[in-house]
Amino acid sequence: MKTKLTQYIQNLKDHLTMDPASEKDVIHELETHVEDSCQELQNSGLSEDDALEKCLTQLGSAKIVAHQIYEANNQGTWRQALLAALPHLIFAIIFALKWWIDINTLPVMFVVILGIAIYGWYHGKPYWLFPWLGYSLFPIVAAGVSLLYLPEAWAWITLSLYIPFVLLLLSLITIKILKRDWSYSLLMLLPAAAFIGWLLAAGQKPGFPNLKITFMYGFAPWTSLTFLVLAISVALFIRLRQRWLRVTTLTTSGIIVSIVIILASNQLGPASFISLILLILSFLLVPAFVERKIRRNEPA
Amino acid sequence: MIKQNELVKGNINSLLLCLIGQQPMYGYQIIKELEDKSQGYFKYKEGTLYPALHRLEKAGLLEGKWEPSAGGHQRRYYHITAKGNKILAEKKVQWLDFLAAMNLIITPIA
Repeated sequence: MKTKLTQYIQNLKDHLTMDPASEKDVIHELETHVEDSCQELQNSGLSEDDALEKCLTQLGSAKIVAHQIYEANNQGTWRQALLAALPHLIFAIIFALKWWIDINTLPVMFVVILGIAIYGWYHGKPYWLFPWLGYSLFPIVAAGVSLLYLPEAWAWITLSLYIPFVLLLLSLITIKILKRDWSYSLLMLLPAAAFIGWLLAAGQKPGFPNLKITFMYGFAPWTSLTFLVLAISVALFIRLRQRWLRVTTLTTSGIIVSIVIILASNQLGPASFISLILLILSFLLVPAFVERKIRRNEPA
Repeated sequence: MIKQNELVKGNINSLLLCLIGQQPMYGYQIIKELEDKSQGYFKYKEGTLYPALHRLEKAGLLEGKWEPSAGGHQRRYYHITAKGNKILAEKKVQWLDFLAAMNLIITPIA
């Protein structure tokens, strides 16, 4: 009969998806409830097995309880929503007002973003951290892409050393986030889809991704629009309670961003569009799959 | 026709604030107190109590702390916060006004 309780707790864990400390707290609280309830039912004359059976029935479906507790704990405030949307808004403004023309703007912004991301990482990893974290990784990824365009020997060094290092770094950060909730890793990775999309669009021109003023000038309003779409979707993500709605919002925004990039570039074909969608889906499905694996391997 | 459990569900926040406002309590104790004090009228579905408590805690109206119970076991006691007390006072006024108005309709003075 104990296995029935273990199974109930495991079902709760499978659907709670909170940070480990809070999850432990919630599980312990429900265990104490079962303990009290069973004790009283046994005092009223029920056997241990019947008491546990009745107690778990009274508690209700583990999946529903877990979902309701998740919804109660994971809805962010409007302040958190604004903070999470802020890096996207900053980039939307930079492109809309053409501040990117100033050579110092982007490096300064990335340093500020990295600073905020480090602050958030060491201060309890709040909801708003993840988009900042995504942007703080941009220069690392961009540096890798730039290295690929250097003479052949450098390209090989990049492929064999730098890219594995970046992938390892990304995996370590993603796994750390996954332990809390895989949907947050989507918050971090989604800006990368927009970034890669624009890089693909720029790469259609001859030579290294053509970041010439004329090219960037034409695309700037559209780039701004994609960041604005991301900002709105991230704010909605933080405010929404249901997990499926949150994930749907981010996925939809990814698809909208891909459509904007394809239409604005006027050079990327269906293959690029499908590649971008597949990339977004991989950002969605891989973390979900890995989180499931991690949870299954955790001791009950 | 509004079902009884829907009435309870719609007013659970006020009930919880009121009960915890009288003394800090833990989950199972709240279920029992609700049932006892209402003479069996408020039979709350146990699994839905905790999401309600967590919502109130997230809103800053309650604060949960692990403390030893009378039996010596650690239980998560919920305490009402200053913000919770303020909301509770407002809710009480609303309820009393509502009840007075309801009484005027249900039992009209001849």
